[in-house]
Formats: sequence, C-alpha cells, structure tokens
Amino acid sequence: MTQRNGNGGRGAGTSRRSLLLGAGGLAATQLASSKLGMPYIGNAAAAEPIRIGMIWAKTGAIVDQSTFLAQGGLFAAEQRNNQLLGRPLEIIWLDEPNPQGAQLNAQRLIDEHKVCALIGGAQSSFALAISAVAKKAKIPYVAANAAALDLTGKLCNKYTFRLQPPVDVHTKVLAPYCMGLGKRWYTLTAAYAFGQDIKASFTDFNAKNGGTIVGADEVPVGTPDYSSFILKIRAAKPDVVVGGLSASDLTTFLKQWNELGMKGKIPFAEISIGNTDIWGVGPDAATGIYTMVWYYKNPANTEDDKAFTDAYMKKFNQPPPDKAWMGWFGMRSLLESIELAKSTEPAAIVKALETWHVKDGDLDVSYRDFDHQMKRRTIICKVKDKITDKWDYVDVLENAPKTVAEIDAAFGSAADSACKMDSL
Amino acid sequence: MLDMIISQAVNGLILGFLYVLIAIGLSIIFGMLGIVNFAHGSFFAIGAYLALVLARDFGWPAALLSPLIVGAIGMVVEMTLIRQLYGKEPLLGLILTFALALLAEAILRLIFGGAPVPFSPPAILSGFVEYGPILITKYRMTVLIVTVLALISFWAFLRFTPFGRIIRAGSRDAEMVGLLGINLPIVLSGVFGIGCLLAGLAGMLAGPLWTVIPSMASGAIMPAFVIVTIGGLGSYSGAIIAGLLVGITTAMTIQFAPVWSGAAMYVLMAAILLIRPRGLFGERWERFE
Repeated sequence: MTQRNGNGGRGAGTSRRSLLLGAGGLAATQLASSKLGMPYIGNAAAAEPIRIGMIWAKTGAIVDQSTFLAQGGLFAAEQRNNQLLGRPLEIIWLDEPNPQGAQLNAQRLIDEHKVCALIGGAQSSFALAISAVAKKAKIPYVAANAAALDLTGKLCNKYTFRLQPPVDVHTKVLAPYCMGLGKRWYTLTAAYAFGQDIKASFTDFNAKNGGTIVGADEVPVGTPDYSSFILKIRAAKPDVVVGGLSASDLTTFLKQWNELGMKGKIPFAEISIGNTDIWGVGPDAATGIYTMVWYYKNPANTEDDKAFTDAYMKKFNQPPPDKAWMGWFGMRSLLESIELAKSTEPAAIVKALETWHVKDGDLDVSYRDFDHQMKRRTIICKVKDKITDKWDYVDVLENAPKTVAEIDAAFGSAADSACKMDSL
Repeated sequence: MLDMIISQAVNGLILGFLYVLIAIGLSIIFGMLGIVNFAHGSFFAIGAYLALVLARDFGWPAALLSPLIVGAIGMVVEMTLIRQLYGKEPLLGLILTFALALLAEAILRLIFGGAPVPFSPPAILSGFVEYGPILITKYRMTVLIVTVLALISFWAFLRFTPFGRIIRAGSRDAEMVGLLGINLPIVLSGVFGIGCLLAGLAGMLAGPLWTVIPSMASGAIMPAFVIVTIGGLGSYSGAIIAGLLVGITTAMTIQFAPVWSGAAMYVLMAAILLIRPRGLFGERWERFE
C-alpha cells in the first residue's frame, strides 16, 4: 500500500507536471499563433487533413512531362505551407501506368484515401478514364494536361474541369501558320485520342483551305525508331509535316529527323508540346514551329506567373517548364476554389470552380460553366536558329488568339459545343 | 513502290542489328545462368546514361568505357544478388530482377531527373549516304559494324578460348564442371558481366538515336524478350536471326500498315511459337526440362 501510494504519489506528481506543461505549451501555441496572424496553426495540428488525389504517371512514355506536372502541383501546396481552410493539406500522388491503371488509382484515392478532389491525367486517354470515375463518384477533377476534344466535348461532365485548350483551339491557332508554309501536308500522329484529334482537325482545316494530305501515319505510343516513318515522309515530299506525338516520342522523332538529314528541309509543326520534349532533343537537332500553353520567357506572362517563375527558379535552380506551370496552375485553381467554397463538399467545390477566375490582361481566365473548359491564350513559338541557353530553346512568335472576341470564337460558344452538361 | 520496299528492308535490317545487340546479352544470361533477367533493359539504360556523361565531360572516346563499367556493375550485381538464386525457384529470379529494374529506374531518375537528356552522335558520324533508294546514316552504319564485330568477337570467344569452353560446358552441366575443379562461380559472374556489357554497349549506341530518359529501359526490354523468344531461349544464332526478322517485319509494317507497327513483332512471335513452340533455334535443354 505504501509503495503503491508512494509510487502513485510520484506518478501522479509527474503526470500532473506533464499535464500542466502540455496545457501551458498548447495555450502558448494558440496565443502565439493568433498573435502572429496564423490562427489555424493550433487547430490544424488536431484537424483532419484535407486530402487531394494527384494522378500523374510515374512510369511510361509520358513520365518526363508528368514529373513536372506533379512537381508543380506539390509546389502550389507548398507555397501555402500545405495548409487549407486552417487544416493540413495532404496531396496523395498515385501512378497512371495506363488508362485502366489511372481509373483504378482514381477509385483508390476516393475509396481508401477519402480525397475531396482529383487532379491529373497526363495523357488524354488517362484523363478520359479518370473523368469517368470522377463523374460516377461525384468528385471534382481538374485535368491539367489532356487536350482531347471529348473531355470537355461529348464526354464532358459536371465534375470535370480542363486547363489545357483542346486540340481544335490549338489547331485554329497553328494551322494558318502551316498553311503559310505550303498546302501539301503529311500527318504523323500518335495512335490514341490526342493524336487522332490532331489528325482529324488538321485534315479538316487543310481540306477547307484547299490543301492536300499527301500522307498520314498513326504511330503506336512508345515507338523507339521512326526511321521507317521518316523514309516514307521523305518519299512523299510534303511542304509541312504536322506532328501529333507526345513527350519522349516527339523527342525521339526529332532526334531521328535530324539524324536522317531532314531538319531544315521540310518544316515540322505540332501543337501543345512541352519544354521537356524539346530540351531532350538537344540544340543540334531541335527544330519546329509549335504551340505551347505557357513559356517562362513569354513577355506577356502575368505578374503571378513571373512570381511563380522566380520562386521556382529559386527552389529548383532551373526555369519552370510549361508542365510545372500547368501542374501548379491547375492545383492553384483547385485550392483557391476550395477556399472560395469554404468547404470540401464536392458540390460546393464544383460551384466554386465554375466561378473561380484570375485576370490575364484583358481576359478573365476561368473555367466556362457550360463545358468546364478553361479559356486562355496559347503561344505560337519557333525553335531558335541558334540555341545558346540550354533551357531557352524557342522564340515566342505570338500570343494567340489576340482579342477576347477572337478567343471566344476559337473556343466556340455553348451552341457549338458537343457538351451536354449534366447536373450535380 | 519497289524502291520504298528496298529502302525499308535495308532500314529494317539495320534496326534489327540494334535489336540483336540488345537481345543477345539477355539470351546469353538465360542460356548460361538460367536467369530471366528483367533488369536487362536497366543495364541498357545505365549504358546510355554513362556514355552520355562520359561523352559530355571527357569527349566521345571516353564513352567507350561505358559498356565496360556496365559489365563491372553487372558482375557486382551477380556476386551480391543473382548468385543467391541459383538452383532456387525460377520465380525468385523474376521477382529480384524486376525489383532491380524498378530500383535502377528510380536511381536514374534521382540522379538525372525525369526529363530526357540530350545526347547526339559524334560530329564525325553525322550525315548520311545514299545508294539509289537506300539511305543510311553514317551513325547507323557504325552501329551495324560495331554490332557485327561484337557478335563475331563473342562467338569466337565462346568457340576458341578455354574460358568460352568452360562457359559452354557450365551452361549444360554446372555440377560436372564444378567437379572437374573449375571455379564455376567466377565463370558465372563473368557471363553475367558479359551479358550486361553487351546491354551497356547497346545503350551506348542507342543513346544518340533514342531518347535518353530513365524509363528508356522499357523500350528496349520488350523487343529483347520477343527476339529471345522467337530465336529460341538461350540460342545465340536464334537471337541474331530473330532480331533481323523483327527489324524487317517492323519496317515493312510501317510501310503498309503503320498503326500496326507496334504489334507486328508480337504477331510474328505468336505465329512462330504456334509453329515451333521452342522458337526458331530453341533446343531441348535437360536442365530446363
């Protein structure tokens, strides 16, 4: 009894001291955080995290782009100290090895990790797969990279939002440039949604403008050798080659295009390429006219974009590629919308995403309510004749379309859209 | 059209030689060690990255060290990991080498980042030559010559040197070779190292043609497996014939049905296995029965 009492007494004394210290510490934290204007710190430690599911490829042909898409998304969260609505913000990143894998991982993020929103889909086929899950599970989804028409066209849904302009908008911007180079085109496009959309829209433009398609090849994803395709192009003697290859496939093609002596002989053009695609080609082999969603040296970049570029360069010691910006901007739109909604309820986030907007000169960059397509300008750029900086490969020729009316016309109206938007 | 067919056939043959070089190391390792090396593509990728770094920092001649370094890495891997698998369940070999492949890709990504890294052929090999409808770049011609030399050298090594005879004997009956007082573990390390050296050589040669990216192993490993399967597991000559067949089939499919070009080699494999399940030159090996 004495021992128990004695032990109990000592134990009780220690426990009481710990309790008092703990309580004092907690009170001090609360006081300090509220004085420092960070009232959420004390609460956040105890609060349930807000979880966002990120699905970007960790393996496969698109991984060079998706690494930066993911990096941009994580950077956006980091810039907020991984806090949202006074709660810890947790980004859970899963792989998308193929469309089925993307779908399974989207479902896992929703069922197991209880995420309140999804972002990802490095390829159009992945994004379409994730979009179907988002629709079924009623979870908001931002597709930051996919360009296939159907995503905000006939397969649109209330929960899917897309940052990248669709293929037809890019085509309207680039195709007139190609027509200026000649009317005989050869299309070399990937054998999946993105490439097939490019082939269809450029072929359509060519036909409407009195041109001829002298050859059209669809290429399997991950083709390691293009020499046989290049021999066919060489024999067809087109005025322009319109490409529709993505990521490392484009890099491989351009290396072999140069190796077979085609650089400078026949112009190559493609929409919506990434910086990393062209960086990997090397200064000797790089060539072409392209559209890009964003470029770090574009003089027309907004103040927010310039601040992002500076912060990114400070952290990563290199300029941000377009994909890092897309990952960042897509995540930013999502996080700001959750803040706007003051809720993690899917329906509230969807409504907030529909009203979210930022200013870019004369244009309100936002997701359109009738198809959830983000409306903004794109860039036409050309690979420099002489590349002296290992990051700065292109000259920006134009930010297009120029006026707000032209942008509206390029993106099309609700009446033009194939999207039949469902309800929440 | 005939011009195009000739042009594509020659181009397919050259591509086939590159495939042969990738596949031959895989075939040797399976034939001699009985290990299906899923990490073979990783040694190919390591070869490309090492060549890139050496060429960039010390000039192209230094890149020639790349296959030797890859071979040495392969020997270390054999001595530390692969050796534990001999005589055990074949599935363990698959799991270990698959894990090695993932690890190698992760390490490459950690060191070099996820983006592709530029790597060009040496300036002296830029340009191409034309013979009528046939166009061959100087670099691809060099790849062809190096591949042929490597194949002849390795064949002569196996055929005419005492070490080569030990390898051949060990691949048939390792126990008997051991009973004759030969240090078989060292021989097996050497074989694995040579297989990896050939993968590294293929990586070095393919680097300036393909995209140098951590995931480039996957682009190499599938054709390699298809070629080894078509040629017959462990068959040296089979791998050569199969590699050339795959190259020509791919080129011809691109000419006539480009969208099927990715599937062509698999269709070829299925057709050959239907007719000859052991592959073109596959033999009945008692140790694998």
